[in-house]
Amino acid sequence: MLAFLRKNQVALSSCCCLLLSIYILTAAARGQLKNEPLSALLMWIMRPLQIASQETVNWIKGFQENYDTLAGFRSENERLRKRVQALEVERQKLLEAEATNRRLKELLDFRSHLPDTVVTASIIANSASSWFQSCLLNKGSADGVRKGMAVVTPLGVVGQVVAVTARTAKVILLTDPNSGIDVLVQRTRSRGIVSGSLEDGTVLKYVKRSEDIQEGDRLITSGVDGVFPKGLMVGTVIKVRKQHLGLFQFIEVLPAVRSERVEEVLVVAAESGAEKKP
Amino acid sequence: MRLFLLYFSVGVFLIVLQGTFLRLLPFGPVVPDLVLVLCVYLGLHHPTMGAALGSFLLGYSVDVVSSRLLGLNAFAMSLVFLSVYLSSRSIWIQNPLVTSFVVLLAALVKGAALVLLWAVFLSVEGFWLGAARYIIMEALVAALLAPVVFALLRRGQNYVEKFRVAAQ
Repeated sequence: MLAFLRKNQVALSSCCCLLLSIYILTAAARGQLKNEPLSALLMWIMRPLQIASQETVNWIKGFQENYDTLAGFRSENERLRKRVQALEVERQKLLEAEATNRRLKELLDFRSHLPDTVVTASIIANSASSWFQSCLLNKGSADGVRKGMAVVTPLGVVGQVVAVTARTAKVILLTDPNSGIDVLVQRTRSRGIVSGSLEDGTVLKYVKRSEDIQEGDRLITSGVDGVFPKGLMVGTVIKVRKQHLGLFQFIEVLPAVRSERVEEVLVVAAESGAEKKP
Repeated sequence: MRLFLLYFSVGVFLIVLQGTFLRLLPFGPVVPDLVLVLCVYLGLHHPTMGAALGSFLLGYSVDVVSSRLLGLNAFAMSLVFLSVYLSSRSIWIQNPLVTSFVVLLAALVKGAALVLLWAVFLSVEGFWLGAARYIIMEALVAALLAPVVFALLRRGQNYVEKFRVAAQ
């Protein structure tokens, strides 16, 4: 017996890990895994690395944009190019500071239209897996962020908080197949659910064939899900297709917020009856 | 223990890379799954109990930062490790081309496991076609990068072993 165990210890330990994974999955699916310490520890280890990496990535993106700007000056001579490059780096810094200033001011203005419980947060990492559209925020339960809170920007809805640790929060984005936001078509007041999809991008589901939906229609949050305040921009209809069969029409949506370009967000507490002022 | 810590640290580093720098690569929505490549490496070159636990922990770490549900990637990575370990008993891998092929197969195993678990625990309408595209793209990208990652890991391992011999 002991010899068998020793001979097959690797395979057996792998099988134990598989069983443990199934147990964790089942417990997580039932919502029994709350404040689980290993997640908090792993997040604690990775958070500073992610912040540092994301800052470097932002710097690289800035550098890339800077390079694109400089491409127009290639025909000029070497001396002028160097001079322009130095000026451009300086200018980029100022533009970045100005853009940040403008974004934060917009966030502040927007915040005054939202319910009282609002937390401002920065995105420190995106999903490490192709299968999930999610991101991590630098604020957690210690800052007042709770599971289920809505994540928005002045441009519209970003997603919803699905897990929190003391200093971080995981947000499932509007474009994830597991997301679902109750929306109204602004023009006709038709209702539907906006969700991500691996196959077709972001789609508006469960809209009857008889409803009048047109390309360019704007979608706003209905507020009835008790998560997102009413009237926030969700996206614009870009394609409407009625199949030969079926109760519903296929509607493709362009999200109002391109999450990969967002740096700061507001995390809003679910508050029934809260409504965004125009 | 030292090797376990080394590989776990490398894994954490790769997860951070996947969430930040590797998003800059021109692979569209697909992020190169270097953690999967690491698990294949462990299954081929370090078939120990520590490596099995390490694969599980790495998958769990991916779940912590990305997944809607904890345990999805933990299961998939453990399954990849076990599959590679069992097949490594009968194949001898030194050629980079064969390495890529093994990683491609492992990525397909991982994709299939994820789809299965997703269907069971997170039933999402109209998921299958999109999933097939993701599985194939992710597997190709992982296979493409596997020889480079394997070479770097082997170099790191040699360095640690030299250090250990010198310390003794």
